[in-house]
Amino acid sequence: MLAAAAVAGLLTQLGLGGSDRVQIGNGSVSALARAARAADTLPQSVLDYPFAGRNFASPDGAGSRLLREQGSLKLYAVPGKGGMLCLVEVDAAADTAGGDCADRGILRTGSIYMADRQEDGSRLVVGLVGDGHTYAEADGRRATVENNSFVLDHVEGGDLTVGSATASQHVDIGG
Amino acid sequence: MRLRFQRRWAAAAAAGVLLSLTFAATAGAQYYIYWWQQNMPPNGLGYDRQTAHNHIYNELVFGPNAGWRSEVWEVTPAGYRHFDKWCVGNCFNAHPGYYYTYAFCSNRDGGTHFVYDCKDQW
Repeated sequence: MLAAAAVAGLLTQLGLGGSDRVQIGNGSVSALARAARAADTLPQSVLDYPFAGRNFASPDGAGSRLLREQGSLKLYAVPGKGGMLCLVEVDAAADTAGGDCADRGILRTGSIYMADRQEDGSRLVVGLVGDGHTYAEADGRRATVENNSFVLDHVEGGDLTVGSATASQHVDIGG
Repeated sequence: MRLRFQRRWAAAAAAGVLLSLTFAATAGAQYYIYWWQQNMPPNGLGYDRQTAHNHIYNELVFGPNAGWRSEVWEVTPAGYRHFDKWCVGNCFNAHPGYYYTYAFCSNRDGGTHFVYDCKDQW
């Protein structure tokens, strides 16, 4: 029992970020608290995927908020089951969609993100961050956080930095 | 009238041949989908061969405490990556259905599973 608890603690430290990591905010996402608009509703195609039923707090995606619209790309935040929070991206022009749901605690030490490789080999990185984060930076280029979200295009390396005016956090995005 | 019918028949036949060739080439192509998770050993890829399907959707499920970094990608017959998505926790990737592929995935049990069915309990 003790060993299992120790292993679970270690896994939590490694996977979700331990207390030794810089923390910003408390994991809250104010964009989810604003009044709902018609545009906040997730596309039916996303709700039809098994992912929605398995991960969203409500199968119909209740509580979702449109965080950002950039060209044909839309980013949504969706409340998830069991303390998870989800980020969903929909690109109508490319006919693609993606999403990930992770423990909300990750937002204290980093970001819930997705990184998609583009035809030129670089990556499009989109992310959801908690309150208090003001920027995301990669390859020396900085993007402003708006509505708890950011978009960084043409990212070449595997390093992402998210931060506030007083602190910064490193996120390994692989690749 | 007869000439018009013959032209239509010829056009339909040509379209049929073209369609057959297209599907034959696609069905025989070796497109693969791979998956990786942060807590797996490097290059710890397994695979599960099932009948090739026209996959338009891939999902990775690790349970309610999901937080590991993951990657799902497709390798074309030419050897380059078509789509390559990195994500955190439980993820899905949906894309246009224009190819047939086998799906590959492994998980913490070292076993091999269809990528659609990756679960945290394995």
